[in-house]
Amino acid sequence: MFYVSVFFQYMAQYMKTKLQYRTDLLIEWLSDLMAQAVNLVFLLVVFGHTTLLHGWSRDEILFIYGFFLVPYAVFGAFFNLWDFNERYIVQGEMDRVLTRPLNSLFQIVLERMELESLLGAVPGLIIMLYAGSRLSLSFHWYDVFVFILFVIGGALIYAGIFISLATISFFADARTSIMPMMYNISSYGRYPIDIYHRVIRYILTWVLPFAFVGVYPAAYFLDKKEWYSYAFFTPVVGMVCFTVSVMLWNAGVRRYRGTGS
Amino acid sequence: MNAIEVEHLRKEFKVHKSRSGLVGAFRDLWTRRYTLVRAVDDISFAVKQGEIVGYIGENGAGKSTTIKMLTGILTPTSGRVVVNGMNPHKEREKFVRTIGVVFGQRSQLWWDIAVQESFRLLKKVYCVSDEQYRRHMAEVIDMLEIGPLLDKPVRKLSLGQRMRCELAAALIHNPPLLFLDEPTIGLDVLVKLNIRQFLKQLNERYGTTILLTTHDMSDIEALCERVIMLDEGKIIYDGSLERLKERWGQGKRIAFTFAEAVTAAFLQQLTEGLEVVWKKGEQPNVWVSHVPSGGVPEVVSRVAARCALQDIRIHEVPTEEIIRNIYEEGAVHG
Repeated sequence: MFYVSVFFQYMAQYMKTKLQYRTDLLIEWLSDLMAQAVNLVFLLVVFGHTTLLHGWSRDEILFIYGFFLVPYAVFGAFFNLWDFNERYIVQGEMDRVLTRPLNSLFQIVLERMELESLLGAVPGLIIMLYAGSRLSLSFHWYDVFVFILFVIGGALIYAGIFISLATISFFADARTSIMPMMYNISSYGRYPIDIYHRVIRYILTWVLPFAFVGVYPAAYFLDKKEWYSYAFFTPVVGMVCFTVSVMLWNAGVRRYRGTGS
Repeated sequence: MNAIEVEHLRKEFKVHKSRSGLVGAFRDLWTRRYTLVRAVDDISFAVKQGEIVGYIGENGAGKSTTIKMLTGILTPTSGRVVVNGMNPHKEREKFVRTIGVVFGQRSQLWWDIAVQESFRLLKKVYCVSDEQYRRHMAEVIDMLEIGPLLDKPVRKLSLGQRMRCELAAALIHNPPLLFLDEPTIGLDVLVKLNIRQFLKQLNERYGTTILLTTHDMSDIEALCERVIMLDEGKIIYDGSLERLKERWGQGKRIAFTFAEAVTAAFLQQLTEGLEVVWKKGEQPNVWVSHVPSGGVPEVVSRVAARCALQDIRIHEVPTEEIIRNIYEEGAVHG
């Protein structure tokens, strides 16, 4: 309960900061929207040329992509860990974090939140609606809750993997270039999993479970019965991923050595 | 009850030794050589509640490392640390509610928002009630004279203004123990005085225990009855500042400004049998004599009897110099 109220306090503060720079905010929104629109057009053009891919139709592939954008936006809004090493370890901000009576990971999530990233979910929803209507998918009232559950699960998978990567900074001094590489790998989860080789499929399911962010949960809404068991596994995988990463994080904090004087 | 208890505390860092040159860099890829550095080497001390203790030492002597272990940021390699009756690292979140920390070179405040907004966030984080906040912070804000700064964003404050706000921010939850790591670094004299006065008042009124590191000896002289001196990770002195001065800064220093040129040999001859050391001053015709305590009247009368003088100044040996002497010798004997 305490954490929830702290969360909202930080969020209010975040909005106040953003509102302080009015023009800046306006420009940011405009450019964000424009970027998303370009993304959208780009996608439609690219997928316009494919009709059938390994048994998946163009609209199904679009739907998967659209679904993927939603958990990805949630992840982007709350887990900006890509410069964790630089900011918190090299510049020593971690010291300050550790002198405050809140969980250190939670504090970093609060400090680095970027709510405008949530806007990225909008094109995702539009794509899903567009593709969904062309596929004339059937929707039930409980699908809304299933959707939310899957989105949370997907965001937790992303968060778990990137938290684990950030944790490396506690153990190794040098900066690692794993982060950008992982962003690349993560994009494989946006496409139908059975177009890949067996090994890659296995990796995307059990080692770096990015398939659970895009194709598996989306398959549920596409009524692909053969993937249902995987789809419903999404929240579980999310929880496991996240829990493991938090445990790694805590081990990392114990190892933390701080910088210089 | 002791606010801080430290026994046989030790912190070792493994430092990667890199070889020189490109070939060396390649070899480093395969085999790494590490050296073990003891940043803090088997120190023990205790600080009573309500004390103000100065923690001093050269750069790299282990001061910050000690403070980081005492505040729960770093885990000790070995030894026992009990602060406010808790193990800082084991119960970090509960523990940090009972301490305040100011790092002189690092900001606690949010850069973009007004100072009072930062305070509000911290108030929430530390679960301080409105009533408690009003009563306590009104006083702190008043003493630090930061009332007019509260609605300005931190990025618009000068260093001195920011530092005073940092201090206030560290005191929002009225902690019984305050750690200050170089709180006056880079500040002008007026701000320094204001901060010192504030810390004194805080200590008197709330009985706040304060541990501070600084390179500014005037901070120590103004605030601390007790100093702990560190060198290469070991405590080389722990006791009152007075005692340190007595033992090391015995004697006075007299600067004579002569009306005409004199020679060292002449002066040496004048004060024969008095254990006086003469040194040439920086200005022309100025000579400084280092005189053992009690010898001042004799030296002055002998010199004044034989030479025409323009000025005489008598100084105590400054603390900075005492400290420097101790660093140079490495340890305090006896």
